[in-house]
Parts: sequence; C-alpha cells; structure tokens
Amino acid sequence: MRMKPVHLRKLAAITEVKGKALFSKNFIIMPIFSLGFTFLMKAVYGAGAEGTSDMSAYALALGVLMNILMEGVYCTAAALAEEKEKNTLRTLMTSSVNGLEFFLGSLSPVVLMSTVVNVLCAFIAGFEMGLSQWISFLAITVACSAISAVIGMIFGIFSKTQVSAGTITTPALIVFMMVPMFSGFSGTLERLSELLFTGIIFHAIANINNSLPSTDIKGILVLAAEFLISVAVFLALYRKNGFER
Amino acid sequence: MNEHYISIRHLSKKFSKDFVLKDVSAELGKGEILGFLGPSGAGKTTTIKILTGQLRPTSGEAEVLGIPCDRIDERIYEQIGIVTDVSGVYERMSVYDNLKYFARLLNVPLKEIDPLLKRIGLYEHRKKPASKLSKGQTQRLILARAILHRPKVLFLDEPTSGLDPSTALEVHKLLMELKDEGMSIFLTTHNMEEATKLCSHVALLNEGVIVEYGSPEEICLKYNKVKKYRVQLTDGSRHLLEQSSQTAEKIASWMDSGRIETLHSCEPTLETVFLEVTGRELQ
Repeated sequence: MRMKPVHLRKLAAITEVKGKALFSKNFIIMPIFSLGFTFLMKAVYGAGAEGTSDMSAYALALGVLMNILMEGVYCTAAALAEEKEKNTLRTLMTSSVNGLEFFLGSLSPVVLMSTVVNVLCAFIAGFEMGLSQWISFLAITVACSAISAVIGMIFGIFSKTQVSAGTITTPALIVFMMVPMFSGFSGTLERLSELLFTGIIFHAIANINNSLPSTDIKGILVLAAEFLISVAVFLALYRKNGFER
Repeated sequence: MNEHYISIRHLSKKFSKDFVLKDVSAELGKGEILGFLGPSGAGKTTTIKILTGQLRPTSGEAEVLGIPCDRIDERIYEQIGIVTDVSGVYERMSVYDNLKYFARLLNVPLKEIDPLLKRIGLYEHRKKPASKLSKGQTQRLILARAILHRPKVLFLDEPTSGLDPSTALEVHKLLMELKDEGMSIFLTTHNMEEATKLCSHVALLNEGVIVEYGSPEEICLKYNKVKKYRVQLTDGSRHLLEQSSQTAEKIASWMDSGRIETLHSCEPTLETVFLEVTGRELQ
C-alpha cells in the first residue's frame, strides 16, 4: 500500500459510520455476549469462593479473550465482508476514500468499543485494580484489540459475504481462545500460549491480579511482533488484492 | 475547441486469451453525453472500469480529466461520479444518512442534501431506511450520491436497466438537465431509444470493437440508403413507398385529394443500424 494522506474529515466520517454499524443487531450481540459470558464465569467460578480474586481474574481473562476475539476478529472481518457483499466498499473506494483511511476508520471504533467492553468486563468480574494496574490493563488490552482487529481485516479480505466471514474466522477464534485456556494442562500449549497475543493477555490478567508486571520484555516483543506481522500480512494481501479479491 | 474530459485512444483489454476491447477510441467533451451502445458482453462495463481506474488496460491510453486512467486517485474521484450495476447503498442507513455520509467524505455542505433530495424526488423518503426503497428509488439514490459533489464527469452503466418507464423518463430528464448544466456524461446502455434521445455521440460496440461512431443522427442518416415513406390513407390502407419520381407524384395526388391520414419518412434507427452492421440484436 503506497502511503497516502489521511484526511481527518473522511476518517471521522468512516469511523462514525463503522461505529454505528457495531451497534446493529448483527454485531452488538458480540459485546453483549462477552459481558454475559464474564458474568456467567464470575457466577460459576466465584460461587463458593466469595472474594477470591483469582476467580475474578479468571472470569475477567475469559471475558476479555472472548470480547477481543469476537469483536476484534469476527466483527471486523464480517463488517468488511458486509461492505463487499452489499457493494458499498467499491463505491467508497471510487468516492475518494483511500485504503489507509478505510483501514483506520474501520479499526478505530472496534478497538475503542473493545476497550470499553473490556473495562466493563473488569467491573462485572469484580476485579479490583489500582491506577498503575488499570494503566497496564488498558495498555495491553488496547494492543491486543488492535492486533485482533488487523487479523480480522486479513480474514475480511478473504471473505466475500458475512456468512463466509463467520465460516473462515471460526477455526481461528477457537485456536486463539482455547490455547491460552488450556495452557495449564500441557507444556506445549503453555509454550504456544506464550507466543499468542491471546496467551499474553490471558496471563497478563493473572499477573496483574498477583501484583506482578502484566507482562515481560518477551511478552511485549511478542505483541509487537504479532502486530507488525499482521500488518505486514495485511499490506501484502492488500497490495495483491485490494480489499476485494 | 471543446475541452476533452475523456480521451480514449486505441484501448484494448484482454482477459485470459480473449480480447473484450479491441482498439477502442472515443472522446467526450464538456457538457456532452457519450453513449457506448451494445449488447451484453460487448465491453461497455469493462470500458467504464478502465476509465474509473478499477481495471488496467492491456494496451492503449485512456485519460479522464487529463489524468491517465492507471493513475486515477482520490483527487480524480472527487471530480467524477460513478453509477454502475454494482453500486451499493448502506441499507441500514436512511436515505438522508446515506447522502450525509458521502457529503462528509466528499466535503459537500450538508445543506445541499435536501435540495438534491427534492430534485430527485426522494425528499419524502429521506428518513426511510435504504433497504425499504423500491428499485427505482434505490437507483435514484445511487444517482443522487453520484452527483452530490457536482462532478465534472458522470459515469453511468446502464442507469435505467430494470426501471419502469416513468422512472426511466425521470432519470432521462435529470440527465438532460445535468448535461445542460455542463456535466459530461459517459453512458453505457443497450437501449437504443435512450441513446438516441440523450447522447451527443454514440459508439456502437460489438464484441469489443466500435463498429460505428458519431452522433445518432449522423449514424442513422449514413445507413439511410434506400429512402422510404410510410403512408396511411383516410380509407385505412397503408403503403410503404421507396423514394422515386412516381412516389412523389403519388403522394402529391393523395395530398391534393386530401386522402393522407399520416406520412412518415422511414430512417433506420440505431437498433436497425446495429443489426445491419453486426447481424446481432441489441437487447
């Protein structure tokens, strides 16, 4: 993708429309589901262990994972697929919107909404944090939301319809979710989990709960690498196909 | 000399092994309507896609507003409007919000939306979700969006295809108004009546090749080799007569005796010209 100027006027318009689309019935179910899932996990794991912060952290970690994946990956992919399915993407591209403006305008509301829902999940889970822990939590969830949204864009490039977006993102969502969830049962999964952004955030919440730094240098490097790799893969695919194959 | 807003020179496009456009040349000046007329698969949509930077030509050159088509970017998109058969609308958004979105993208003052909605007859439906519009209303919304920023050049790919006759007439009226306001329009159609009525120039396209190019009148007159007249007399009888001195005498005598009900010259239409040149029907 050749670097093109980003017009704030266009970016604001795209962000607003994409943000409103997230509240449509197709997509709003995802954050509601994540909030409900966190509530359920809190109820299940917190039952009989009143006041156990480990349980709150676990419920929060599951809720945040669910949210980041469903909103970041699924909603981004499905929203891009919907634009292709309804032929509005081509109309946008021939109405003076460049690829970078569309990319940023599509990502920013997803990252923002995902962050807000993550914060709500923390309250629902009853996970108490000090200021520095909040900063650490927000930093890592924003980074992971951005990575998942870029991955969602990659899936979106391959999806022609919303249905196909659902079909091709599902296996990836399962892998990203299950590997950190079951990392405690297998050394291989544990090592793999350390290399996934979902694993980093899953363990980061546990670390915050234990008053430890949310992640280490290795975790930061993994997040940076995954962000850069996903952006590079996106750019390579975009250069080859545009947003439409 | 009229400024050329579109200039196409020896344009060819090949998909796999097949040429869909072969050595096509045409020009469109300010305030003109150029029609590419041909049946499905003739290369009309391919031409629009090349001119709007969505496809690259295999050979030849095409310029829009002086910019080669393979270098078209946002600056040119801000000066052109495009209506194709795959132009979409945001179905969940209202008619007004659809236009508001594009007004913000194209830096058009929002106060210009309502007059435009009135002009295209959608003002009463401005709060309606686009998904609830009829096909004709949707097509008018797409057209409104394409002209919202007052483009210098408007590309229309079969704009009245599938519309009922009254809606098609409204679209024709709007296009003539836009032309009179100085907008240049590149129109593809397989409707010869539409082309004859609207276009300053037409290119008859068959299998990627322009087989005739000129004004509709010029083309029709060129193929008016055997001049014929259709006469209906007051007794109900009908006569098709070739031009000759005998025919002139016969018509004169019928006129003298007041027996002529109707009298028409029978020039070929674009459709009959197309059929004569290619052996194919337009529809």
